[in-house]
Amino acid sequence: MMDIEEMKKNADFLIKNVKGVDIPGSVKVNIRYKTLVNFAKVYGITDPKYVASEEDGVIACHAFANHFTIKAVYKLLIGFNVIQDGKTRGIMLDPGKLLHTGNIYNWEGCVDVKPGDKLQIVGLCEDAWLNEKNMMLFYKFLIKVKNQNEEPVCNVVITAGVRKGGY
Amino acid sequence: MVKISEYNVGDVVKDQFEGVTRDLLRAYAKASGDTNPIHTNDVVAERAGLKGIIAHGLFSTGLITKLFEDHLEHGKAGKLIEINIEMRGMVRCGDLIITEATVKKIEGKKVFFKVEQRTITSVDIKDTNGNLVKQFEAGERGYISEKDIERGLVKTKDVPEGILTYRERIATPGTALIELFE
Repeated sequence: MMDIEEMKKNADFLIKNVKGVDIPGSVKVNIRYKTLVNFAKVYGITDPKYVASEEDGVIACHAFANHFTIKAVYKLLIGFNVIQDGKTRGIMLDPGKLLHTGNIYNWEGCVDVKPGDKLQIVGLCEDAWLNEKNMMLFYKFLIKVKNQNEEPVCNVVITAGVRKGGY
Repeated sequence: MVKISEYNVGDVVKDQFEGVTRDLLRAYAKASGDTNPIHTNDVVAERAGLKGIIAHGLFSTGLITKLFEDHLEHGKAGKLIEINIEMRGMVRCGDLIITEATVKKIEGKKVFFKVEQRTITSVDIKDTNGNLVKQFEAGERGYISEKDIERGLVKTKDVPEGILTYRERIATPGTALIELFE
C-alpha cells in the first residue's frame, strides 16, 4: 500500500495533468433492437413505444442511457493515460477502486435512440480534486453522445471517486 | 393528460419497487453491459468487503427515469429533460425502493423536482418475547452497521407476524426537470 505522501504526489500530478483534458479516442456503440428492448423489459416496461416489434418502430427508454454511457466510459477511461516520471500510467491504477458517485443525464435538444443507430461517444475530464479527509480522488467527466447524423442523443456528467491505492 | 396548470409546488409523484432479486440483477448486468461481478456474485462481493452483492447504482437511476416516463404518459404529456443524482447508499436484494419526486419550482412549462430514493431493508421479525420468527437477507448477512443504528436509521414496526426491524435510508438524492407540452 502506498503511503500518504505518495498518494498526495500522484493526486497532485493527476489533477494538474488531466483537468480540462479531452479523454483520448472515442467509442462507437451500435444499437441493436434486442438490446434496447431487453433493457426496457428489465424494468418491467410494457409501453409499446419502448418494447413493440422492430417493424412497428421502437425507441429507447431514458434509462437505456445507462447501457451506452457506462460501456463507453469504461473503454474511454482504460485508454486515458498520462506520463509521470517518464513512465506511462493510467488515470487510475486499479479500476476495482473506482466508485461511481453521481450522474447527470441531460436530454435537452436531444433526439431519441433507435435500433440501428450508431452512437459516437467522446469525453472530457472537466474537473479533478482530492478529498484529503478520506484520500479519495474525484474526477468529473463530461460525456457527449451523438448519433450517426451528428445529432445529440444525451449529455452526461459522471462523477467518480478513486479510493486510496487506486491512483 | 397532465398539464402545467395542474401542478403546484409541494406536489409529489411517487412509485415503489420491491423486485430487487439476484435474477433481476443478472438480467440487468446482461442488458446494461455492466458485468462487474460485485453485482452478481456473492463470493466476489464478499471478497470486496461488501458482505453480499449490491445492485448497480444506475439500476436505481433507471427507476427514477421510469417514474417520469410513466408520469409523462410516455412522452404524450411532456418530456424528461434532466436528472441529477448522487449515489449514496447501496441497494441490496430484497430492498423496497421508494422513489419520490416533489415539485420545488415551476417556470413556464418547466417543472423542477427534488428527488429522493429511499430504501427499506428488512432485517428480521421477532415475536413479543424477542424470539426470532423470520430473518431476512440483511439479518443473515449483517448488512446493518453500527453506524446505521447510531444514525437512527434502524426502526421497528408491528406487522401481523410480530415486530419487524428494518433500516430506512436515502440511497439516491437528486433533482429532475421536466417540460410539459400544455
